[in-house]
Amino acid sequence: MNVIETRELTKQYGDVLAVKDLSLQVKKGEIFSLLGPNGAGKTTIIKALLGIIVPTRGKTFIMNHNVQEKGKVARKYVGYLPEVVSFYDNLTALQTLSFYAELQGANKQESQELLNELGLGDHATRKVGGYSKGMVQRLGIAQAIIGKPPVLILDEPTSGLDPRGAWEIRKKIRELNKEGTTIFLSSHILSEVQEVSHRVGILHHGALMALDTVDKLSKKLDLQPKIQIELQKAPKNIISYIKKIKGVRDAKIKDNILEVQCDHTVKAQIITALEDKEVGITNFTTVEPSLEEVFLKYTEE
Amino acid sequence: MTGKSIYAIAKKEFLDNYRNKWIIAITIIFLILTLVISYFGVLGSEGWTDLTATISGMMFLVQWLIPIIALMLGYASIVGEKEKGSLSLLLSYPVERGEVIAGKFIGLGSVLALSILIGFGGAGLIIALNVSGIQWGEYLIFIASAILLGLVYISLAMLFSTVCNKRSTALGGSIFLWFLFAMIWGVILVGIVIANYGIDTLSNEDWTAPTWYYIISMINPISSFQLLVSLNIASISTEMPGVLPTFYTTPIIATVLILWILIPLIVAYILFQRKDL
Repeated sequence: MNVIETRELTKQYGDVLAVKDLSLQVKKGEIFSLLGPNGAGKTTIIKALLGIIVPTRGKTFIMNHNVQEKGKVARKYVGYLPEVVSFYDNLTALQTLSFYAELQGANKQESQELLNELGLGDHATRKVGGYSKGMVQRLGIAQAIIGKPPVLILDEPTSGLDPRGAWEIRKKIRELNKEGTTIFLSSHILSEVQEVSHRVGILHHGALMALDTVDKLSKKLDLQPKIQIELQKAPKNIISYIKKIKGVRDAKIKDNILEVQCDHTVKAQIITALEDKEVGITNFTTVEPSLEEVFLKYTEE
Repeated sequence: MTGKSIYAIAKKEFLDNYRNKWIIAITIIFLILTLVISYFGVLGSEGWTDLTATISGMMFLVQWLIPIIALMLGYASIVGEKEKGSLSLLLSYPVERGEVIAGKFIGLGSVLALSILIGFGGAGLIIALNVSGIQWGEYLIFIASAILLGLVYISLAMLFSTVCNKRSTALGGSIFLWFLFAMIWGVILVGIVIANYGIDTLSNEDWTAPTWYYIISMINPISSFQLLVSLNIASISTEMPGVLPTFYTTPIIATVLILWILIPLIVAYILFQRKDL
């Protein structure tokens, strides 16, 4: 069954075509990601899916209910986390969540339990106006999952979070999916999408450039992260030494900065090997493949 | 539209606004000014005066201040939430946009009504302790008329809030609206009279205005409010100068105010339906 569907969805803002003729289906139990840079049309698609904006042409469906005609019915099945989460400053977290529970038709008792679960239990009666950014994000997740909707739509769920916060969200996404929730999310980070989703649509200037399973996408792209390691000294044979490690694709050195292209799994092994050589590591960074590289791969075909 | 969602939104709007600093300040101002007017009287004589006598002094206070707080409460109701982003989230829930408009209006209206009740009602009780034979019926009509006037301005402010894409534009529109009914309307009306009948009309005590003059004058919600209070409070209505047209009756005036509430809300609803957020 299609849980989410868009049919020839088009949205025009003045002269700007934000989304053009987009048709896609998301099946029950899937984690589907929309991948694209800022301005590619991700938020526009999500807002059209929910009926927050009116499409110029085309239709959107949630659980086979036409959102443009029966929005109220369709939205009963959805929890939504906007890219920028904002609540009402003078309401406490408990009042806020109870309000959304009432709208969703969920049990209000669930609010306190959910706040406890997300680590906000001690702050339940504090005004949301005084909440930190991280706490607001947690409350955002709480409101999205209250009433256990079968569909979750998450717009850039990890943007603006520290690595730990982002990791917690990804964990939560997988947990909810295991319980049967269909998840539609948007992101501009390739590695995140690869890690969490089953299927991905790559969005470029409001149109789908590719629509594939993550496995096939990864194979096709064959993009690996690059690690850059700054060394105190660089012995001549270092390149051939590193290239011997299994999983290393390429290695270069320039001005004492070693650049290695490799599988995710061997990063630690490389560091250990370098330490054995006593070259003195002064800095270490990972460079994820950029979306531009992804687009290039697809346009090359 | 269902009552459940409207109630939930109204309650949220009430909780978010009732501790608003403006509202608390204005409630206290109402209370104190009512007591001051009652004690010192319009003519400056010292000592408590009856509520009915106080009302004529309070009418001016009400017609300037209530529109201001109602506009302050309402102008950001839609556009403010839109700018913050909380409106998108609200509309992702199973609610209709009409329920959002209705719920917000009821919630904000309740905040204003409560403030007026506490301010004026509280002052009324204090006056009742000092003066015997209070005409509570007339005083309640005054309070109800004040609430009605406030609801008109909340409705108008919500219309601006729906139409405008920026908070600042909605604020500007609301300020213009205040000047329009409090000042510009009367000036324009006088201007039209002078243009049609000459400048001498203003000093001619025998001149009787044509029907359209009374109609245009009545359409201004501030005039409607004044008329509604004046017609229903005996001590004021007996002192009203000249002959009023026959259509200046309580049902007609009340209808004008109710239409001022309903029409902007309906227009806001229609425009909100098609709005992208």
